[in-house]
Amino acid sequence: MRGRRILVVDDDATLRETLAEILTEDGFEVRGARDGREALDQLETWPADLVVLDLMMPVMDADAFNAAQQRAGRRTPILIVSAAPHLSEAADRIGAVGIVSKPFRIHELREKVIRGLGVQPPNGTLESRASN
Amino acid sequence: MAINPQARATRAPRSPARSPARSPALEHRPDAHAFRLLVNAVVDYAIYLISPDGRVQSWNRGAERIKGYRAAEIIGKPISAFYTPEDAAAGRPEHNLRAAEERGHFTEQAWRVRKDGTRFWADIVLTPLRDEQGTLTGFAKVTRDLTERRASEDRERQLAVEHEARAAAEEALRSRERFLSIASHELRTPVASLQLAIDALLIRQERGTLDTQRLDELLHRMERATERMTRLLGELLDVSRLNEGDRSLQVERIELAELVGDVADRFAEVGRPGRIVTRLEPVAIDVDASRIDQVVSNLIDNALKYSSDAETVDVRLHKADDGAVIEVFDAGRGIEMDGVDPFEPFGRGANVTDTQGLGLGLFIARQIVHRHGGTITATNREAGAGARFRVFLPEQPPSQSAA
Repeated sequence: MRGRRILVVDDDATLRETLAEILTEDGFEVRGARDGREALDQLETWPADLVVLDLMMPVMDADAFNAAQQRAGRRTPILIVSAAPHLSEAADRIGAVGIVSKPFRIHELREKVIRGLGVQPPNGTLESRASN
Repeated sequence: MAINPQARATRAPRSPARSPARSPALEHRPDAHAFRLLVNAVVDYAIYLISPDGRVQSWNRGAERIKGYRAAEIIGKPISAFYTPEDAAAGRPEHNLRAAEERGHFTEQAWRVRKDGTRFWADIVLTPLRDEQGTLTGFAKVTRDLTERRASEDRERQLAVEHEARAAAEEALRSRERFLSIASHELRTPVASLQLAIDALLIRQERGTLDTQRLDELLHRMERATERMTRLLGELLDVSRLNEGDRSLQVERIELAELVGDVADRFAEVGRPGRIVTRLEPVAIDVDASRIDQVVSNLIDNALKYSSDAETVDVRLHKADDGAVIEVFDAGRGIEMDGVDPFEPFGRGANVTDTQGLGLGLFIARQIVHRHGGTITATNREAGAGARFRVFLPEQPPSQSAA
């Protein structure tokens, strides 16, 4: 579904920008944030449908971000994308809708984004190739 | 078995009381017999009298139990029978008596020999006895067998040593696991960027939307990710070399000012002229030059990284007591120590929001400095005025075998 909003939160600029570009081309509306703090600020004025969240970030990590967003009465679904170990424990802890372990292939991430949003793929292309 | 009736232990001693033979009970003749019975009955202590020339004069049940001789066998014999052959040959029996005579008292813990030749760990107290004119009449001797206690103390000490070693090994293992876990996280991050950039290229190629500008942009991202991986792998290699090279510092006498100056020059060549300011005092010192080069490089690199190009980095070297002090100051943002040890692997400060640092440079520096028997500390200068790293190196590293 076009126009669904995704906030990509990652302190690695290269990954954040590339992912934002790909998802934008997929038809989503995408913004980026460097850490949990920036993400909270963004969500104030730009409520997203899904947060793609790294776990280990310098200023506000995933746990702190999740706690802060709940305090603010917000429950944006979170998809964890991280190079950290024990992702499923972290997912249980913050009630994430899915996990993607870095490094990942784009089709895996896309699949989980779509599942997290509960929508059909807008213009998926790599999925078909990946399943071959 | 009874106290030798000839013993003249009933005289008031001149030196401070210590032996039971000097108990006030002895001051009263009617009690002397009772007192002898009491001494004789004691089984935990060997209590006996020695003549001025070092022969056994009395014996009690404790002495029989501890030393194994019956009274009839030992009375009149020289006390050297109780000493180990080595101690006897070295004149210890005589020496101890004379020491007691001179000081008014002699104690020691040492090995003694039983009748059957076995040894026991003895705690002895030797007290000279004198008559009213101050003439030496003999010695009172009290011996305890501490073999059991010594053995149990040895066992406890051994257990404590083992416990400590196990705790250290476990901590080393935990710290290794922590290191590997973070290292793997740090490596996965640029691989993820690289992989994603490749996927972005593939998608665009598939869709036919790959123009030159996009291609260029993605290639640059891939380049940055691989550069980062290369640097990280290089540092990981340094760390592993450091660990395997535990006993191999190539120590030589060098002029430290030259080494520090060379490193500073290397950085100065690529940066803004005048950014690195050195003040170096000559100090000749024993170090592994290539390793100390790495320490100074990492500190300067760190200072340059966390301060702006307009700010200077000060590198100083001066002589200290028994060694040298290298200091690197920057005027950058300082270190936000908030629970983070900047010398721990990947221990970046909370105010490091970019990932230009790999987080191993200071860890490597600390390992090398410690290997040299030195210290390294990080402090912030007055608020907002930057960080200051200080390295002390002793004039000589600790001996290689002890390292």
